[in-house]
Amino acid sequence: METIYIEGTKSTPEVHLDPEKNLIQLKGQSYPENAFKFYEPIFDWLEQYLDELKEEATVVVDFILPYINTSSSKCIMMFLEKCDEAFLAGKQVKLNWYYHPDNESELECAEEFVEDISLPFQIIPREEE
Amino acid sequence: MIGNDLLDIQRTLRNHGLLISFSGRLTQAIIEELGAAVKKYLELEESPKSDIFNIFSIFIEQTQNVKNYCASKEGTDAYDLVSNSCIITIGKTEGGGNYICSGNLVENKEIQSLITKIDSIIPLDKTALKKLYKETLKKEITEQTNGAGLGLIDMARKANEPLAYSVAKVDEHYSFFTLKTIV
Repeated sequence: METIYIEGTKSTPEVHLDPEKNLIQLKGQSYPENAFKFYEPIFDWLEQYLDELKEEATVVVDFILPYINTSSSKCIMMFLEKCDEAFLAGKQVKLNWYYHPDNESELECAEEFVEDISLPFQIIPREEE
Repeated sequence: MIGNDLLDIQRTLRNHGLLISFSGRLTQAIIEELGAAVKKYLELEESPKSDIFNIFSIFIEQTQNVKNYCASKEGTDAYDLVSNSCIITIGKTEGGGNYICSGNLVENKEIQSLITKIDSIIPLDKTALKKLYKETLKKEITEQTNGAGLGLIDMARKANEPLAYSVAKVDEHYSFFTLKTIV
């Protein structure tokens, strides 16, 4: 599988999908004009990757999402659902969600996302940027 | 436009506690620039991070909602008129809060469904809003729509007061729709 790197913009996160290191990173604000269009290739990659993922491998998902609009939230939920399905099917998936310690709303947002997922997660305060 | 005209406009803006206003055709780039400006301004004021976050996110949802509505008119006769009718403002309320107010022309035939949707959200408390938000978030996307139907619910969740709106009939085809969120 190929490694995907997408540079961040004002309204889209930096995306790093690395099948060698089993690392998935999304970093930055997300409120593109069309969220589904932006996330579609990421979903395609993720589906294939999780499909091919060996049971002994552990994939780490890192989210640093200071702001996500509602249609991006929908995509992030879909993203997590896919990861959760893989986890429930016996694959090792871990989620680290980094939030700004001064921003209660960002923390609440992260907490809400993980309320209904089964895969192991950590919500971690991140260093000031 | 010189002299008193401009002064009158400024006076009106001040009377409404207005900080930022944009009137005209919205683009993603304009939304990004205005969003960044709003954020900078609030940071300079040293507003709490949670407040900045909420104001910024309501601003983005509200403008993207308006823009998506305009985009839905693409290829129809209504497009130019509707997309040039957008206005978005951010200002201070008398109580020291912030308001985000947007307005645009809406086709009369669509007003009722819009009102029904907002009216169903207005009476909900935070717990009910959260429940509705989560249900909507998990709904399968059945068609390729640009938006998840979450915007209004999210605004209501982040606002300190219930959403407020008004509809002013312009002519037999259009009404001017205004939405106000206070945070």
